Amino acid sequence: MSTSSTSAMAPESQGRIRSDVSTVKGLRRVADNFYVRRVAKALFTVWVVSTIIFFLIRLLPGNPIEQYIARLIETQGMDYENARMQAAALFAIDLDAPLWKQYLDYLLNLLRGNLGVSITSPGTTVTSIIARFLPWTIFSVGIGLILSFTVGILLGLMMAYRREGLLDHILTIFASVVSSIPNYLIGILLVVWLGVQWKVLPIAQMRGTLSPGVTPSFTFAFLYDALFHAFLPIVTYVLTTVGTWMLSMKGSTIGTLGEDFVTVARARGLKDWRITTAYVGRNAALPLFTQLTIAIGFVVGGSFLIETIFQYQGIGYVLSGAIAARDYPVMQGVFLIITMSVIFANLLADFLYGWLDPRIKVG
Amino acid sequence: MTKGKLDWQMDEHQNGKAPLSLQNVHVSYATRRGKVQAVRNVTLDLHAGESLALIGESGSGKTTLGLAIVRLLPETAQISPGVILYRRDGREVDILKLDRNEMREFRWRDCAMVFQAALNAFNPVLKIWAQAWDTAKAHGWHDKEAVRRRLVELLEFVQLDPKRVIDAYPHELSGGMRQRVLLALSLLLNPQVLILDEPTTALDIITQRTIIKLLRKLKEDQGFTMIFISHDLAIAAELADRVATMYAGRIVELGASEDIFYRPRHPYTLGLIRAVPTVTGGFEQLFSIPGSPPDLIDLPSGCKFHPRCAFATDRCKLEEPELEEVGPGHTAACWHWRAVEEELQRNPLHRGVLSVLQAISFNAEEEAVS
Repeated sequence: MSTSSTSAMAPESQGRIRSDVSTVKGLRRVADNFYVRRVAKALFTVWVVSTIIFFLIRLLPGNPIEQYIARLIETQGMDYENARMQAAALFAIDLDAPLWKQYLDYLLNLLRGNLGVSITSPGTTVTSIIARFLPWTIFSVGIGLILSFTVGILLGLMMAYRREGLLDHILTIFASVVSSIPNYLIGILLVVWLGVQWKVLPIAQMRGTLSPGVTPSFTFAFLYDALFHAFLPIVTYVLTTVGTWMLSMKGSTIGTLGEDFVTVARARGLKDWRITTAYVGRNAALPLFTQLTIAIGFVVGGSFLIETIFQYQGIGYVLSGAIAARDYPVMQGVFLIITMSVIFANLLADFLYGWLDPRIKVG
Repeated sequence: MTKGKLDWQMDEHQNGKAPLSLQNVHVSYATRRGKVQAVRNVTLDLHAGESLALIGESGSGKTTLGLAIVRLLPETAQISPGVILYRRDGREVDILKLDRNEMREFRWRDCAMVFQAALNAFNPVLKIWAQAWDTAKAHGWHDKEAVRRRLVELLEFVQLDPKRVIDAYPHELSGGMRQRVLLALSLLLNPQVLILDEPTTALDIITQRTIIKLLRKLKEDQGFTMIFISHDLAIAAELADRVATMYAGRIVELGASEDIFYRPRHPYTLGLIRAVPTVTGGFEQLFSIPGSPPDLIDLPSGCKFHPRCAFATDRCKLEEPELEEVGPGHTAACWHWRAVEEELQRNPLHRGVLSVLQAISFNAEEEAVS
């Protein structure tokens, strides 16, 4: 600043330049801010993904819109113009407009939260479908993820402390086996064993997200019913993912136990519990938090097969229905939600990182 | 628990009784190939207020011995037979018989160990203050303010700016700063014995000087009881009152610093001194001990040094010598220590000792300047 103002300048122009300079500097500081840059990058990625989705649907030969028009003409004997109009209404685009205008409309609709209308259930907007089904997926897979991560980390820590012991061997075999079985297979096995052969669980009643007559409210009865229905998806999710957390945490903990600072902490006479939690556990879990945020990103997409098997009406269930019925607007909307959740989970990871690990300078 | 001033150990000279006595200590590691005899038959008294240097090649058992005193050896290690007696305030305990919690309390409060490679000595996710508080809390301190005051005092003693360091994360400090923080932290609980394992290795020469000066201050002004583990003879010569040379897990020579450096009686000690590069000498004067340290699983017969020793005779292959008095307060485990003495008369040590002396005089000059 001092270099920009010289004595030859009149005082008022000097003042103006000063304030200009400081505005520019302020803007630059905002632009240089890590959080601002990171959010901008995430939004940019969302834009790129939505653009790709737009062009995929419109530019590919035999694109869904033309297929839909053709189907309307074939099945309902509609003439081309009417079929076209209906398709345009469903996909929330104006098919006569030039491509750039269609694209602009699409983006503007996106900003307004308008993702078009479902083909199979006309009159229902894609946004409302997502709003209705997404919370259930977040609820069930979210609980599964938290459970699986917590249990996996604790067991992994224990395994590392007792490595080469009996407990370690048993848990390592368990972890390797469950993490190598695909989730839909575990789901089917649970239904067959618990529901059909041993009849431990009332599989038929557990279908869906809520029992008939129960409405969302802040009551214990509602929560119980929601958990009752989400039980099997959660168990399946925990079983298929807990092994990976256990093994990662075990490996990471063994590495941390060999670190000098752990020996020094022992030499300092710290209590074992303090060393295990704040010195070993915390450092060993650090790399797993990255994996956790990535897993959060895949919560939405990962629910697909499990929800279909258990008839659990979440976003994965909607997606499988939409694919079966070629409900393109719904598919388009769900895909967008899936990619957005991955992008924002990564954003969260970046923000959390600096807080979890002081060595990573944020900013 | 509040101790306002640095409360050093001068008052604890217990009528000449050594705070630490090692008697017949053996340490072995169980491995697939067999038993590694890392330390064999070490008997040693550490006197109050003295500083003792353990010197020797890598693998000679120096660090193992240090870790054995605080019982931080890996689980595969076994300390037996042996007795490690520790005395404070008129009480005497065998460290090897302490239970888990007593051992935990003994560490750092009675005997603190400053490790080699302090770069990694701190938990990377906790601030220095948090780690100091952890340490104090584990030993029953409750007064945060008192701990903080003491830490500030100690950080000033090691010539660090407490304001900068106390709330810093370890990665925000340089290697030399971290080593000094660890040194300050080791004094936090006012331990009676300080073990320093290669305190200056992996530091640049300037930082080394700073640390050495601090250690001299601890030794000379405060009369701290210390054990240095080092392969750097110059540092040992500067800081130690007594020096113990270790070879293949045994102490092969023990004596006052002056005796060891001017009148070594064990061929291995002589070899180590002659191997010190000098500032003025060329490479032709450099001597190296032929061969390599023995396999600790399958030790040679007789004197463990005989395969590498120029003085070795048939007797050395058969019988292992015990430590024998070769001068007042000076013992060596060699059948031919008189031959070493004669050899030294024929070929006096100049270059090697000179470099060591240079280091000492350099330090004295530095002291005079500052």
